[in-house]
Amino acid sequence: MLAAKEKRAEFERQALVHTDALYGAAYRLTRNARDAEDLVQDSLLRAYRFWDSFEQDSNCKAWLLRIVTNTFINEYQRKKRSREVLDAATAEQDATDGVLVQASASDRQSPERVLLERSVSDDVQRALDNLPDDFRTAVVLCDVQGLSYKEIAEIMQTPVGTVMSRLFRGRKLLAAALREFALAEGYVREEPTKHTEGDQKTIDLEAYRANRKEGQR
Amino acid sequence: MSLCQSIDTLAMAYLDDELVAEERRELELHLLDCAACKKHVDAERADLGLVRKALVAPPAPDLLKARIARALDLEEREHARAMRRTWLQWILPGSATIAAAAAIVMFVFVRPQAATTSAGSVAQEAVRQQSRSMPMEVQGASTGPWLREHFRPVEPPRFTEPGITLIGARLTSVAGHEAALLKYVVSVGDNQFTLTAVLIDGIRDGQLSGGQAIKVGERTLHVHDANGIPAITYVDSQGMGYTFAAERLSPQELLELVVSSDLIGRAQQGR
Repeated sequence: MLAAKEKRAEFERQALVHTDALYGAAYRLTRNARDAEDLVQDSLLRAYRFWDSFEQDSNCKAWLLRIVTNTFINEYQRKKRSREVLDAATAEQDATDGVLVQASASDRQSPERVLLERSVSDDVQRALDNLPDDFRTAVVLCDVQGLSYKEIAEIMQTPVGTVMSRLFRGRKLLAAALREFALAEGYVREEPTKHTEGDQKTIDLEAYRANRKEGQR
Repeated sequence: MSLCQSIDTLAMAYLDDELVAEERRELELHLLDCAACKKHVDAERADLGLVRKALVAPPAPDLLKARIARALDLEEREHARAMRRTWLQWILPGSATIAAAAAIVMFVFVRPQAATTSAGSVAQEAVRQQSRSMPMEVQGASTGPWLREHFRPVEPPRFTEPGITLIGARLTSVAGHEAALLKYVVSVGDNQFTLTAVLIDGIRDGQLSGGQAIKVGERTLHVHDANGIPAITYVDSQGMGYTFAAERLSPQELLELVVSSDLIGRAQQGR
């Protein structure tokens, strides 16, 4: 109640201005508009509760993205798994209980929802679906949010080298999938990839730097 | 060592702008000479462009922004409720007067719609005084004596709870009446906020009335809304008007504070 108005104003000025960016990240992480909205709202509420612990002169966007990423990994994924289990159970129930099938099916699938889900499950979302979570997170933080390797390393709590190799492989897989979809739907005439896929390649900037130093001696 | 061997790493760091100036220069020179590496970097650049273009995400829907604002409002209200419980915990233990005040608090509640009743012009102006950031003319412990010397022979209202400190005062005027503005700092946990009391001399009956009238003992307090700031007015038997305001409090919280001040006890003794 006390500094409430000030806290709210400060939060709006520093944090809520990033709502669009956070939604962009959430949208690509969850691959679904509905879940993205929930994730952004949960994350911002959490950020508001912990606003006192935000160090005022650090990068607010990176701090918020860390909350979004952690919330996504910790809660959303778990929720999603349990929902899938629930959905499967409901489907089974529907199948065995003939009378109720019609009603419950229409409950869960309103026309708007069907439309919404269809419109967001585009090629990009399909391509992202096939990426391992860690790869997708690294790619989203770098290529949707423009964070540096170091910032991503801090958020994902891994060394910069790990970030680079996740990013490298994630991008390769994504680019290949996007080309495949584009090819299938006739957007591009031929496949321009001549370079080999990156699974066996080693991405290591530190080793390069160490060798380079060695070479200069 | 050859740059060609590390071209995967270098191309990536180069396109992500993660190379230091010297490394970048070295690579750029190399690309002028090495067609294979140049081709590799160009292909990587095309891939990166494809990925980044595909990943451009839509902005947050307006409805989501509204939902977030509402969720924050709820969170704030919940927090205020928790803080109010803290107030009551302060007030409950302690001396007999505090206990008496607490007893009053228990039975005096502001109706929610009271906050929508606008304050009269004198109260409005008194509350406006509090938001003007004018320097205090006196600070700290000498405020009481200063007030008696420069304003009127009155005692500044005192609050018996810890954490409410009179920090200073200045003279002012409200609707042509001589007045004194007293500033208090209230600390709850790590939070601090300002409470002001404006003492207005020569107030006639009814000049500070309006809002929701609340009887406390023989005295009547009025709870107003002064452009979104809760204010409580009270006029003593000598025609001295008091306007309390605190931007950060709800009307109920402000009322609890005012009722727990020595003003009420003094007023009852003064009869």
